[in-house]
Amino acid sequence: MTGRARTTARGRARRREQEEQEAPGVPRAPESAAVSEPAQWQRTPRSLRGEGPVVRPRQPRGAEVAAQSRGVKEPGLEAGLKTLSLQERIGGVFQDLVVNTRRDMMHVKNSKTGSEGEAVQLITNHFRVISHPQRVAFKYNVDYKPDVEAGNLRQILLNQHIRKFGECHIFDGNSLLLPQPLREQKVEWVSITEDKKIVKIVVEFSKELKPTSPDCLRFYNILFRKTLKELNLKQIGRHYYTEKIPLTLERRGTRLEIWRGYVTSILQYENGITLCADVNHKLLRIETVHDFISKIQARAYPGNAQQEVANKLIGSIVLTKYNNRTYRVDGIDWNQNPDDTFNKSDGTKITYIDYYKQQHKEIITVMQQPLLISQGRWKKGQTDTQREPILLIPQLCYMTGLTDEIRKDYTSMKHLAEKTKLSPEKRHNSLKGFMKTQALLRLWDFKLDSNLLSLQGRVLSNANIFQGRRMVQANASGEWAREVREIPLLCPVPLHSWLLLYSRHCRTQAMNLAEHLQHVTAPMGITMSPASMIEVDGHPDSYTNTLRKYTRSALQMVRIPCFLVFKVICVLPNDDKNRYDHIKKYLCTTFPIPSQCVVKRTIEKVQARTIITKIAQQMNCKMGGALWKVETNVQRTMFIGIDCFHDIVRRQESIAGFVASTNAELTKWYSQCVIQATGEELVNELQTCLKAALDVWCENESSMPRSIIVYRDGVGDGQLQALLDREAKPMWTYLQTISPNNFALAFIVVKKRINTRFFLKRGNYFENPRPGTVIDVELTRNEWYDFFIVSQSVSEGTVTPTHYNVIYDTIGLRPDTVQRLTYCLCHMYYNLPGTIRVPAPCHYAHKLAYLVGQSIRQKPNRSLSTLLFYL
Amino acid sequence: MEENKLQCSSVVDGNFEEVPRETVIQFKPPLYRQRYQFVKNLVEQHEPKKVADLGCGDTSLLRLLKVNPCIELLVGVDINEDKLRWRGDTLAPFMGDFLKPRDLNLTITLYHGSVVERDSRLLGFDLITCIELIEHLDSGDLARFPEVVFGYLSPSMIVISTPNSEFNPLFPSVTLRDSDHKFEWTRMEFQTWALYVANRYDYSVEFTGVGEPPAGAENVGYCTQIGIFRKNGGKAMESCVSEQHDQHVYKATMGLTMLPRLVLNFHPQAVLLPNPPKMLRLQVFTTSYPSLQQERFFKLVLVNEVSQQVESLRVSHLPRQKKQDGEWGDKPKDSKAPGPCFGPVFTEIEKAKIENSPKPFCVGDKFFVPLQRLLAYPKLNRLCANEEMMRSVIADSIPLSSDGSAVVADLRDYFDEQF
Repeated sequence: MTGRARTTARGRARRREQEEQEAPGVPRAPESAAVSEPAQWQRTPRSLRGEGPVVRPRQPRGAEVAAQSRGVKEPGLEAGLKTLSLQERIGGVFQDLVVNTRRDMMHVKNSKTGSEGEAVQLITNHFRVISHPQRVAFKYNVDYKPDVEAGNLRQILLNQHIRKFGECHIFDGNSLLLPQPLREQKVEWVSITEDKKIVKIVVEFSKELKPTSPDCLRFYNILFRKTLKELNLKQIGRHYYTEKIPLTLERRGTRLEIWRGYVTSILQYENGITLCADVNHKLLRIETVHDFISKIQARAYPGNAQQEVANKLIGSIVLTKYNNRTYRVDGIDWNQNPDDTFNKSDGTKITYIDYYKQQHKEIITVMQQPLLISQGRWKKGQTDTQREPILLIPQLCYMTGLTDEIRKDYTSMKHLAEKTKLSPEKRHNSLKGFMKTQALLRLWDFKLDSNLLSLQGRVLSNANIFQGRRMVQANASGEWAREVREIPLLCPVPLHSWLLLYSRHCRTQAMNLAEHLQHVTAPMGITMSPASMIEVDGHPDSYTNTLRKYTRSALQMVRIPCFLVFKVICVLPNDDKNRYDHIKKYLCTTFPIPSQCVVKRTIEKVQARTIITKIAQQMNCKMGGALWKVETNVQRTMFIGIDCFHDIVRRQESIAGFVASTNAELTKWYSQCVIQATGEELVNELQTCLKAALDVWCENESSMPRSIIVYRDGVGDGQLQALLDREAKPMWTYLQTISPNNFALAFIVVKKRINTRFFLKRGNYFENPRPGTVIDVELTRNEWYDFFIVSQSVSEGTVTPTHYNVIYDTIGLRPDTVQRLTYCLCHMYYNLPGTIRVPAPCHYAHKLAYLVGQSIRQKPNRSLSTLLFYL
Repeated sequence: MEENKLQCSSVVDGNFEEVPRETVIQFKPPLYRQRYQFVKNLVEQHEPKKVADLGCGDTSLLRLLKVNPCIELLVGVDINEDKLRWRGDTLAPFMGDFLKPRDLNLTITLYHGSVVERDSRLLGFDLITCIELIEHLDSGDLARFPEVVFGYLSPSMIVISTPNSEFNPLFPSVTLRDSDHKFEWTRMEFQTWALYVANRYDYSVEFTGVGEPPAGAENVGYCTQIGIFRKNGGKAMESCVSEQHDQHVYKATMGLTMLPRLVLNFHPQAVLLPNPPKMLRLQVFTTSYPSLQQERFFKLVLVNEVSQQVESLRVSHLPRQKKQDGEWGDKPKDSKAPGPCFGPVFTEIEKAKIENSPKPFCVGDKFFVPLQRLLAYPKLNRLCANEEMMRSVIADSIPLSSDGSAVVADLRDYFDEQF
């Protein structure tokens, strides 16, 4: 249900946004009056916003507007990569399809399938297209004079000439696809709008499309969406939902309903085109922003309320009922209320109350409410122009997404997970009967298999894990927690001179923690001296104040290199983000020492001992220790993980985490963080990171690494070519400048959010594939060196495989090697004695970027870079 | 926006580029919007329940009208099926319509077909609009039009708009405003026709228009002339309605047997009827909106409203608790006056009503809100008339006290500690 997940299913790349609504979660363009206006047709994009309550905000004041003045620029990383995408009309995933990265890798020219492991038969959530148009299709560009913005109006105007091109056509707003050519290369038709205006439509032949071309697939996706409408599903936004009685969730006055729907996409894979269908869910939250504000106000400190509201509201997405658009809240204007007036485009003044009453029949009953400020969205390709902020009325805006209360409530989340995370069996069954209506598809000679595609996968054997003197293997669900209990760690780090901070309310828990830590660390091999216990008062700032006091004296007494010998544990009364952020910021930048925060509630539970064991292990890693190692059978290979974090509140920056292994055993990691401002290239910074990582490697090992394998996560659809040109190749060039011919590089793109699922058939029952299942046939692509691995095991729901795409490889990695290595790396995440979804360096990079993006918001101190301080 | 639009809209017919812009008459807002606004105002004034738009085109008018809370059935008819089919989707309910359901049911249906065919499904309407329709009818259809619309359908009110040809000389090089227009009438011609029709079918008619003529040419009258026809004797007569009712059911079911494509509203018994008569109109689209009349959505809204109210009362019970506990020790620098307080604003009468209702109370760590108290709040009172009704609707969604007279909630909550 996230934005990224949605993009993978996107079946079109339209230059213009159609008027149809989008599911909450994606901010939409700001035309507030659009829906009720008949026949919107505009000469310029700007004119569309004319009538909305568009007002320039007054002088920015306070924190709530701060975000707004900044939010004008595209996030750096994204922007850099996106500029390339914009050049082509075909965007998103379709653009990736034309990037042939396999061509340049001779070692996988003939085959990219591996052979290791035990073969298993799997079922997928794809339907094979058994017949699709074999003839070429004819693509025509359609232009309107004067230009028409609204997608549906474009269609209507074109449809006036339907006899000239026939019922069997696909139109995406810009181009028309026909199974047979028109008589002329270029024709001009004249259409008449509802209000009797003349629009010339110029239809010009563009090209012939082969049935397999990505562009053609885009049209098939449009075609298929049309057929979904006939399945009697309720269309909301881009997806289709069943009307069966949905699930409801209630927590503290806010109720949610969850509806089930489908996502589909048609794409070309190894042996042909398939339709991927998956179940998704939509959340209905009946809570206006006004309800939300009142609720916060009732609970917040007086005087602090505005700040509290701003903290909780800014960055969230709201939905306006009257035009069904979603907006991101960028600020709150406390000085205006619905009684104020704004200028309509014709110059007349009108109050918000009257405007909404006249325009949308919406009655505003509460005068005492501030206005919400939302920066509109740019039109594509116009990112340089200033966007006009839109003012919204809280009472008319609905909150979207989960509430904080529900998100933090274990029972509700569990309940939610039970209903939305469908087991493989349930998922399979709800998809099985999906392909019923194919009437529209037949017009195009399109036929889909009514059975789900089945294929063969392989289960790799689990990696050997070494901890202490023991060698263990993960069990069937990819875990080894029980096997390593009470075994000394691979590399324990002693814990001397450390502080334990707690508030008055957490005294018992803190004492308990200190005592238990002594108990649990002994069998691990960690020597621990008693802590200096410090009590602070309950005020949010008191932790940092106390720390400041202590560290100041420490600064005077101890010389800087000794910092790392002591660390801090804070026991917090609750998970207030503000306090956590302050502590982390202070201890990662100003006074760099590893720290551990523990919420009171976690150590109150019955299984406190297990939890405290985990805390001790985590602390050990943060101080540079290692818990276990994995047999990889490769020498002198450095593994690098890169992931990005995009701050939704402060949109101007994105943060890239860079984590590299710095010894052969993969127990030491070097990490650095790149804060990326607008337009900057990531690669320059990457080179610095790489250099530093190589230096650290040299300190740990006698010789330089020979191979470098990069796992790159956080890449959107349509950025493959950009990634190759701007990261993979420059990195290779840079390595050549350091030492020609001594390095080999492999660059692997990791994609977690995909709609493809695999089911393992056991008798008549479907279950999740076992961890270590590799799929490198059928659903991979001929142009890529790619494969899927199911590396994690999930206790509920259907497991999501991870897609790996080797886009650059001078090492000459064989399919078996790269698959095994990747799976091995999934065993290396120290916070979990089990396999995870992505290779450990990727997840470390994610943790780092997340901590920096969410809490620290600046580069952490260099002295921490060899520690896993962000775990 | 208008400026931009007008540059295009200025041209009524003929070649777009060659027209010198200065001489062109411009309407602000554009004429088509003025026409729609006219109908919209009429709807607001008369609050019809069933409205049909004949010749609905791209359904713009329907989209404009669907927000009116009074309308329960909205029908569009047009001869151009593609337009209807494509536009249908935009009439489907939005996400927001589920978040805040309407008070009354609303069904929107689009039919493809000629407006001069008798169709029982359009009987008994309160308002039928024919905006810029009649000038598209050829002489045969025009002759049948009054008989079908006035005589057969016989709604309480009919609005007919058509171009005023006296205005045309003000446009450059125009004979007819649209190539599909079969005729354009002067005021005299239209009024003669209208009066004749009104007289014949016992309607009274009143003439007006939109699109004021420019200064100096006032004598030509409105650019679009409009006739508002009202049925004499108020609403459609009872006898008529019941008599026609049978026919309505009959034909609707007939139609369905003919049309395998019709997915919705399919009555199985229709199949049993022998030899169905010829179908006149195809239903190309229909949608129904969530409303408080539907149990499912009524419950959703009521339960949600009750939960919110209980939560709000619970929270207002808390600060006092906090002080007693003294959890926060020294308070932060909040000497500043508290900001304006948000929340619903009540009138004096409402306040008194709330004050006089039974108060929420605590027993142990449980918090009770009497249903009577909840009913005192205007928002809930509007939804729900009595305690019994409220209890029966919310009982399986919200925990109630053992005697069922109050809602129960936990007073303290882990999440409260954050504040």
